[in-house]
Amino acid sequence: HSALSTGTMHPLLLLLLATAHGLVTVNYTPELASSELGGLVTARTFVLQQPRCVFEDPKYSTAKIWLVVATAKGKEDFNNTVEPGSPEWAFQRFPANASAYLTLGAAMFHYPCPVPTGEITVLRVGSETACADDVAVPTCNGPLPGPGPYWVKFLALNGSEPVADTEWFGPIKLKTARQLPSGPEAGGGRSGAMIAITSILSILLALLLATLLAALCGSELCGSGSFKPDSASIRRYTTHHVYDQPAARL
Amino acid sequence: MAKTDNGIRIFQGLLILGNVVIGMCGIALTAECIFFVSDPYGLYPLLEATENDDIYAAAWIGIFVGFALLALSILGIVGVMKSNKTLLLVYIILMLITYAFEMASCITAATHRDFLTPNLFLKQMLERYMKAETDNNNDKWMTEGVTNTWNKLMLENQCCGVQGPLDWQEYTSAFRETYNDADYPWPHNCCVMDARGAPVNLDGCKLGVPGFYNSNGCYDAISGPLNRQAWGVAWFGFAILCWTFCVLLGTMFYWSRIEY
Repeated sequence: HSALSTGTMHPLLLLLLATAHGLVTVNYTPELASSELGGLVTARTFVLQQPRCVFEDPKYSTAKIWLVVATAKGKEDFNNTVEPGSPEWAFQRFPANASAYLTLGAAMFHYPCPVPTGEITVLRVGSETACADDVAVPTCNGPLPGPGPYWVKFLALNGSEPVADTEWFGPIKLKTARQLPSGPEAGGGRSGAMIAITSILSILLALLLATLLAALCGSELCGSGSFKPDSASIRRYTTHHVYDQPAARL
Repeated sequence: MAKTDNGIRIFQGLLILGNVVIGMCGIALTAECIFFVSDPYGLYPLLEATENDDIYAAAWIGIFVGFALLALSILGIVGVMKSNKTLLLVYIILMLITYAFEMASCITAATHRDFLTPNLFLKQMLERYMKAETDNNNDKWMTEGVTNTWNKLMLENQCCGVQGPLDWQEYTSAFRETYNDADYPWPHNCCVMDARGAPVNLDGCKLGVPGFYNSNGCYDAISGPLNRQAWGVAWFGFAILCWTFCVLLGTMFYWSRIEY
């Protein structure tokens, strides 16, 4: 309900029109189902709670409950004298040629009250893909054509005579998929471990090469290459010694 | 000279022991790298598609380095026991070459493990999973690899997407171009399956009812094995190289003290 629109005559006029048609606006706003559902709102569907215990008055027991899905403009233009199944309110013409459509029509006994515990009572709007292009099924519950925003309400019709409706609920905005941002994938941060491994191993290899060069140059390959008689030198036991043997040994 | 003879003997013993350890570590390194190359978790196609599969190259190098270490350690033991300068020089030079290769393997494994972020796998999954038109044979091969691997991953680990099933909702993907959103908010492999491989409750799965679809992401199932592989190759190789460094230093000192 908008509070005070331009002039207080406007809501009064609407109320008169409504009662003139015998339409009662039930004090209920449709709501999205529990947020536990992963698929509550997707790119082409959304999930509503079923209108259980809403149209309780026995005079609605023979009515058929329809869901009206409309754009913001359709919400303003919608008049409740609609004939479900007429091409004027067909899903296939939404939203280009029709600013609202009716779908998910069900008799009252489909929504028994109270709700048995443990049951999931939801309505998935947009789940029927088979009839989405089939003009023979104007009340198709087809996938919504765009991200929205959409407005919904429930409408109880006896034949084509509206007897009750709920408040409008919305705006429902559907998800829009975006491109994956190409973030920093290559070189995603050098970890400390990798830096440690690289630097330590490089240092060790350098030390080894340096030691090898020192060992090679310290011996006969370069420089003076002198034999240093050391007390800790290793003798090969099967070959002759460097040092002269005392002549007595021979 | 008895005291220095003992000293020499002890030094020889230490070098031989060092080489024995190198030989055993070489066998262990070969075994570990063969295990990784055999890809028990079937994750190689994912890396192949990212063209970032160098942790497998590091494991391949590890296999050959392990064999080389084993052979060279035997050469080293023989050289130390005979105190043969030529043998030991050959040993030192070949060991340095092996050292360089193993160093390359460790650094490669550590560096490429840093590339494995959730974004990398997310990009691959969105671009290749169930991609309908492929440009050439290579593209087709990679797409099939990614698709089959993801299907198997999601079934076996009861997971969906990289961070969750909402990956399919939030980002555009090749999957979305073939499969409409109303029937397939996420792939059917994300549904909880019964024993025959069919979803337990397809409508519950599409609605996203907890218990009928897998709401957790597969990133842990991917990054766990790959991290273990990368760190296994990198750190074990690092440990071997540190030990080899000490043994080589000792061997070079021993070599310089051998007199003809």
